[in-house]
Amino acid sequence: MEQELQLLWAAIVTYVLAGITAVIGVVLGKRPERSVLTLMFAGLALQAASIGLRWERLGHGPFITMFEILNSNVWSLMVAYTVAYWRIPRIRASAAIVMPLMFIMLGWLMVTHPGEGHYPPTYNTPWLYIHIGLGKVFLGAVLVAVGLSCVIILRHFGFGIRRLGQLPPSPQLDELAFRCMAIGLIFHTLMLIAGAIWAQDAWGRYWDWDPLETWAFITWLTVAFTIHARLAFRISPPVHAAMILTVFVTAFLTFFGVPFVSMTPHQGAV
Amino acid sequence: MTQQDLAEAIERENTQLESIERRTHISLLRRLASLRLTLWLIALLAIGTILALRQEGARTWPMVIPLGLLAVNLLSAIATNGVFRRQTALLVFHLSLVALLLLVAAGRLTYLKGHAGVTEGTNFEGVLAEVERGPWHNGKLSSVSFVNNGFTIEYAPGLQRGATRNDVAWRDATGRSQRSVIGDQEPLVIAGYRFYTTFNKGFAPTFRWQGADGTAVFGSVQLPPYPMHEYSQALEWTPPGSEVSVWVMLDIDEVLLDREEHSTFRLPEKYKLVVRVGNERHEMRSGDTLSLNDGTLRFEGLRSWMGYRVFYDWTLPWLLAACAVAVISMGCHFWQKFAAKPWDA
Ligand code: HEM
Repeated sequence: MEQELQLLWAAIVTYVLAGITAVIGVVLGKRPERSVLTLMFAGLALQAASIGLRWERLGHGPFITMFEILNSNVWSLMVAYTVAYWRIPRIRASAAIVMPLMFIMLGWLMVTHPGEGHYPPTYNTPWLYIHIGLGKVFLGAVLVAVGLSCVIILRHFGFGIRRLGQLPPSPQLDELAFRCMAIGLIFHTLMLIAGAIWAQDAWGRYWDWDPLETWAFITWLTVAFTIHARLAFRISPPVHAAMILTVFVTAFLTFFGVPFVSMTPHQGAV
Repeated sequence: MTQQDLAEAIERENTQLESIERRTHISLLRRLASLRLTLWLIALLAIGTILALRQEGARTWPMVIPLGLLAVNLLSAIATNGVFRRQTALLVFHLSLVALLLLVAAGRLTYLKGHAGVTEGTNFEGVLAEVERGPWHNGKLSSVSFVNNGFTIEYAPGLQRGATRNDVAWRDATGRSQRSVIGDQEPLVIAGYRFYTTFNKGFAPTFRWQGADGTAVFGSVQLPPYPMHEYSQALEWTPPGSEVSVWVMLDIDEVLLDREEHSTFRLPEKYKLVVRVGNERHEMRSGDTLSLNDGTLRFEGLRSWMGYRVFYDWTLPWLLAACAVAVISMGCHFWQKFAAKPWDA
């Protein structure tokens, strides 16, 4: 347990260093991209080791408590953003926005209790990994879109026009954000399908209006709405960006709010 | 104007009227196909979904109305919007959404959902405790039968329930006998009815009832679920064929599931079975008999019972197929669209 938490702390410090380096780079108009990327990969490796040790100790993956769910999602979101950062060099300056966003989740993770939870028998199925994995890809794709959207909105309101000027023009960022949302929609759809199959196997119903599945469906609708609004009104990049932020907030509340607010989360826990 | 001129003029007039009519039809269809309407309807569906989540009683119309309108909107768009003729994958995706909608509707009209408790060593005979069904449900539940051959459930410390393994036997459609172990992720499926084990299970004192006319029947009392209702293991029961109501209580004198250790669900060995008839109280052991006004009750011993969730919905494989088509076509559509032009072109 000690070692797990030490590794996690080391990962958090590394992420924070990566974030600070990215912000300073943008503010000073420098490009410390290699350092940022190295720090990101190092943070991922440290956090993976921490999650791995805990997995080994408890005999199950990070799917049960708030601590575990936040922990594994910080990791998967960081994987998604690191891949985007690595593969699409033109958008690297967006790290100055995405990393501080991640700090909020890191702060939350640090104040949650790392105790263990009860692993229900209905989780003994590959569908657990498929369902959760697909959800993580969805959220990761939306996070990249959120980073680009924040850049579009900031520049629209005249913030950091020069500093964020090294990023491509807003119509291009808008197109890339849309593509991330398209990937997100595919994976969200797959997540809903996998969840329905699992629920049918485990509880004998593919849909039962439990708060988490219902909010996941509402999130899906917000993505469908955004895509059609962009087609119907040819909306401008800042408006599209605001809609993407709305989708992210809905998705975020669904992932991290509903299961812990509602009295009847996924009935898996019984 | 000759008669023929007149006829031609009328004919022309009619054709014009018809084409105006056709045009109004088309413009109505165009309006129904509006993408802006789609946005309103998606928002309406989201509101309906929240209503349905909040109120169990509001799960039909708040969903049916926006979904129905979306279907009209979508079908009109497919009929009039050239985008769908040019982009096959997009068309297939939206058609699969319509197919999904129709399948869900069909499922809601014909589904069945219920619960049944079956005592170990006895048959499920098509009778459910609680049922809910679509108005057009026409499955043959009464002809479905299987035997519950008992189950095992392991508990981790802290009474954390582990895997459930339930041994069941039945005859398949060709009359051959089949046997299988179901539980957790694995239902028993007979004639489209799916039987899922649940955490409702417990003890069932089993009796033989011999009426005054000499006929003997077996029956069991499925006491409240264990360990959920550990401290209220009692139930009022009327033996099959009798008129007399008896009160049966199981008083367990040992620790069955240890909170500190790994344990397995099992029948108690040290227990008292208390049977009360009117004001008379009796303690019965296996093999004891009790004379009532209209016959004799003999306690045959304790068994377990399993509570099953029963679900029937013939649309399941079709829903899965429609979902697969939807995801694949959506993927193809985006792939084609994005491959045609880089994002920073
Ligand atoms: C029910 C009413 C609906 C109507 C009338 C409708 C109509 C349309 C139309 C006309 C287009 C093509 C627009 C264009 O390329 O100019 C389109 C695109 C699309 N629709 Fe729908 N749609 C409906 C529902 C949905 C739903 C519920 C989804 C689920 C997510 C969806 C997902 C999409 C996607 C992914 C595209 C492709 C967007 C793109 O290529 O940029 N549609 N829709």
